[in-house]
Amino acid sequence: MMQKLWLKKPTINYSKDVLDILQFGSSMEEGKTPNDLDIAVIFNKIPLKEQLDQAQKIKKQLEKFVELPVHINSFDLYSLFDASNFAKESILFSGKSIIYGDDFAKRLGFSPKIQIYYSLENLKKKDKVRFNYMLSGKGGEYGLLREHKGELLKPGLIEINPESENVFVNSIKEFKVDFRVKKVLLA
Amino acid sequence: MNKEDILIKAAKEYFYSGNDEFNKGRYNSAVVLYFKALVSFSDLYVLQKTGNTPSSHNDRFKITEENFPEVYNLLDKDFPFYQSSYVQIMNKELAEVIKDDAKIMAEKTNNKL
Repeated sequence: MMQKLWLKKPTINYSKDVLDILQFGSSMEEGKTPNDLDIAVIFNKIPLKEQLDQAQKIKKQLEKFVELPVHINSFDLYSLFDASNFAKESILFSGKSIIYGDDFAKRLGFSPKIQIYYSLENLKKKDKVRFNYMLSGKGGEYGLLREHKGELLKPGLIEINPESENVFVNSIKEFKVDFRVKKVLLA
Repeated sequence: MNKEDILIKAAKEYFYSGNDEFNKGRYNSAVVLYFKALVSFSDLYVLQKTGNTPSSHNDRFKITEENFPEVYNLLDKDFPFYQSSYVQIMNKELAEVIKDDAKIMAEKTNNKL
């Protein structure tokens, strides 16, 4: 079950030093069972000790809203984009603001999307039809695109939200078709 | 040597080794060693208060969370850095924070560094 803490927009206390509080990582991915809930607190440039003390207070408040262990990370904008921060791609691409209830990337002027290119060339006709039903639905039933707010950009190319990547990739894999996944930030 | 002596010896050894690494600018090693010093002093604190020592990280977190929240807070705050020290570059500021936390626990257990 996805722990949609960012959708709940829980009421928590934090100082003016906090720029944003983000949920990111495996708990954001539909179709996965996370072991913990990754949270990134983005601070103004303040001493690290203060960041860590404030982050602990935020963690204690967030723990009341979820059953999973909360794993909290503190950053300022320098350390967030530092080369040694291996989590930055995940934070930037899939991070959702618990304060604003939306993509962190949108605050930077971007909309994160997954584009999946696929080819049905090697499929039999009946499997091509099944594939299209899977994406677009059949007889009034929702397909994956409608269910997960994705879009067919053109035949062979769909665009979806980052949190739905696993759902689509796993479903496409069942058809044994060639496909590739591209992460994009749309301006 | 009794349990208390062992924990004091280990804690001080980790702390001073942390200082050596810190002075050489090896902050990943310093972070690991200061955290280990913090853990040894925390175990010593639990021993002094309860007569027992934790048997694992899980046990340590459970005991301190239930009985000594101020100690739990230090461990819980710093543990993620110890865990990620294998794959992340640690800096001087972080090493200083964990060093200070080890010092706090040294004081709480009546040890001078």
